[in-house]
Amino acid sequence: MPHDKGWRKSRAKTADNLMTEDQPFSFRLQTNADLLKEIFYYPTNLALKVRNLYIPLLDREGMVFYWEDSVDTQTIEAHIVGPLLQTKEIAMDSGDIATLLTKHVLTAASSKKISFIQEAIDELINGNTVLFTEGYAHALSISTTSFEGRTISLPTVENAVKGPKEAFIESASVNRSLIRKHVREHDLICELITVGERAPKQVSMMYLHSIADSELIEGVKKRIMDIDTDTIMNLSMLEQHLEERPYSLFPSILATERPDRAASFMYEGHIVLIMDNSPLALIVPVTFWALFQTGEDWYLRWAYGNFIRLIRLISVFVALFTPSLYIAAVTFHVEMIPPDLMLAIAATRERVPFPTLVEVLIMEVSFEILREAGIRIPSVIGPTIGILGALILGQAAVQANIVSPILVVIVAITGLSSFAIPEISFNFGIRILRFLMLFVAFFTGFFGIGLLSTFLVAYMVSLKSFGVPFLSPMAPFQPSAKDLLYRPILRDRLLRPFYASPQDQVRQKKTERKSSR
Amino acid sequence: MRKLSFLLPWVFMLILTACGDRAELEDLGHVVVLGVDKAEDHQVAVTFQIANPQVGSTSQASAENEPPSDILTITAPDIVSAKELAQSVASRKLNFTHLNTMIISEELARTKQFHHVIASSTGDREMRREIHIIISKEKASEFIHANKPKLETRPHKYYAFMQDRWRDIGFVPDATINRYFERLSGELFLAIYATTTRSPKHEKDEDQYLAGQVPQQGGDPVQVMGSAVFKFGQMIGTLTGEETRIALFLRPKAVNRSVVASYPDPRKKDFRVTVRLLRVSPTDVKINVHKDPTEVKVRVPLKVQVIQIPSLVDYVLDLKYQEQLKRAIKESLESKANALVKKTQEQFASEPFKWYLFARKEFWTMKDYREYQWEKKYTEAKVQIEFMPSIESFGKQFKPPQIHEQ
Repeated sequence: MPHDKGWRKSRAKTADNLMTEDQPFSFRLQTNADLLKEIFYYPTNLALKVRNLYIPLLDREGMVFYWEDSVDTQTIEAHIVGPLLQTKEIAMDSGDIATLLTKHVLTAASSKKISFIQEAIDELINGNTVLFTEGYAHALSISTTSFEGRTISLPTVENAVKGPKEAFIESASVNRSLIRKHVREHDLICELITVGERAPKQVSMMYLHSIADSELIEGVKKRIMDIDTDTIMNLSMLEQHLEERPYSLFPSILATERPDRAASFMYEGHIVLIMDNSPLALIVPVTFWALFQTGEDWYLRWAYGNFIRLIRLISVFVALFTPSLYIAAVTFHVEMIPPDLMLAIAATRERVPFPTLVEVLIMEVSFEILREAGIRIPSVIGPTIGILGALILGQAAVQANIVSPILVVIVAITGLSSFAIPEISFNFGIRILRFLMLFVAFFTGFFGIGLLSTFLVAYMVSLKSFGVPFLSPMAPFQPSAKDLLYRPILRDRLLRPFYASPQDQVRQKKTERKSSR
Repeated sequence: MRKLSFLLPWVFMLILTACGDRAELEDLGHVVVLGVDKAEDHQVAVTFQIANPQVGSTSQASAENEPPSDILTITAPDIVSAKELAQSVASRKLNFTHLNTMIISEELARTKQFHHVIASSTGDREMRREIHIIISKEKASEFIHANKPKLETRPHKYYAFMQDRWRDIGFVPDATINRYFERLSGELFLAIYATTTRSPKHEKDEDQYLAGQVPQQGGDPVQVMGSAVFKFGQMIGTLTGEETRIALFLRPKAVNRSVVASYPDPRKKDFRVTVRLLRVSPTDVKINVHKDPTEVKVRVPLKVQVIQIPSLVDYVLDLKYQEQLKRAIKESLESKANALVKKTQEQFASEPFKWYLFARKEFWTMKDYREYQWEKKYTEAKVQIEFMPSIESFGKQFKPPQIHEQ
């Protein structure tokens, strides 16, 4: 791709006119050292650390390079420098220096031989230690990575009352480990895919080989490899590169911070993507149903799980429709409101100077401002927002005759319901659609609400997430575990989703009820 | 181009559709009671009772010095034009969507004009078919002006509560415009009969009254009792409260499920026994159209809950007495029912019992049924009515406390 080459060229210029990325090492230790120092702007930038040493075993000078703050110096000390200095002789002598050192001297967990400058740069940036020796046109990269990060903590968004309480953190290896803890299978595969040209990042693609559909795996892998950009900071941005319809209000990829949820999706043939610096896992493909389900639906017993699922389903509708139903009823369909309520609304509306739409917009926008402010406000002055919010959305607004009292109730129930939608993307989608719905209701009443709803359903049916229809297995209908609006009892969850590998569709055989005796 | 073709339908939809119907709630004047009187030159005097939202509905925005409703009367050719004309007086756009009660004076109801007024009014989209029809003995405007219930400030609430009571007690039929339209081909339509005037009379049977005759002291000015009988869209007579109840019993299904009434005590002639009659299953009507005169057999299964025995006769333990009581109730009901049937056959020449539904079933086509002339056949029909009461319970306390004289 033309623009691609362009920036590579310019980058090469900025670093060093001579340097190209596949330039091999020199036999001379000093040449290599100078080159690396120049690339890392040594000594302006003190991040690159160099340690000269004499290796008695080889009877040569050597140099150890590492990048400060990304390595564990203890490891370098104990497993690289120490052994190199102390080992005087060994029983057998094999040819290659790298093999020799790896086999007999170094006690670090892993190391590999590298031959090009670009490789050395990548290794150093990722926290590995590079060892050069005089008269040897290769180097040895020894893994000593240790970035600082926080420890595993509780989920902040996807809370669960009953269920595991670990959440992903910003380290990919920790996140992978969390998943592996849940999925102890020999065919749990973790493929590393590199994305980004300037600062390549690794995406871990995890799936169960026997369950996930191989076509889907290839598709996702291709989609990730096709991403053509300089760098991808984290999963949230990868998500936007991956999705098919960037303008869509409905998400086609699910992000979760719960390892147990990621694991359970894996058992249904989904693919989990993990990256460094993202306390999340992306799950592809995803259907509409996953957006308002939580892991807890299955952790709780049948009745309780269905109850909370029903409540969440209701709240989706309440959050989407309540303000528009109010507008439609008040401006077009007065006959639908019970007379007592109608008169009460009319009485309070009499002193409000705005049309209903303006009144609703004032309240809804205030609520959205309050919500956004609540996220952005520094936590030190956090409590003020409660007071201000209560003033805007409460009695004060009513007493100032800006809104009628029933609107406070409507905005409150709408806001509350939107908080009950667990998936953040879906949550945003519903909140934006609510405003669209509002305008349509104001212009055409229930007729418009009906039309827009029809349009939305039609749109959702047409959506696909990595080839899987958004509303499947309901429409188009497919045999499934029936885990859609309603969840069956665990014993009846017989099938995996149809997009899982066809060889492994059956989750369990129908079992007879076991007698208690 | 694709974007445009996507947007265009939406734009058109917004421009061309129902936008013009929109009205802010506070701009509307909600007519909750409508009164229709006869006026000169085939015109009608329409009385609008417009609810004032600011009185009695909410403490947030109450206007202390305003009345709960505004009543105005406009004379015009019909209801819709009166509504338009009233706009010259009323500050708000009159709206019928919450109209639930229509008062029509007996004077108008007894003319052919009644049907024209009612039938044409439903052309207005805002007219609901579940509007209750009340026939007032006096002028509708007088009725509306006089109706000042003490416990209800807002007029619509008064009528809403009253309609619930009517359904419970069965002294009046549940008459709506829709039911009226259903019974236009010779069947009798029963409308609610009410008045604010008084002409009290004393009856031994507590429900043999028409509106206005119930001995009353204090309370609200409106009395609702009995029904106005309509045939071919014209009022032709009245039924008392008791007759209305019996008529409802004889219908295959009725809205009221239980009524409380008193019947002569078979053991002590001066006393009466008060019972609650419950309908447990639909009234069974069998009509033999092949016989001449037509045979009608009606069986009314009833459950009886004896509530009060003022004579203190022990009907509870003595099965023989119980049998007598049952027979007394049965005979009393049957004689009243027979009298009512006779009255309808002779005076009205049609029936309000919805028996035409059963007669109609016997024919293959509507044409056959019409040729049969059910109403005419009914006037000569042999009607056999059998009430089948079964005593279910004797109230909370089986045995009343007795006085033991030494």
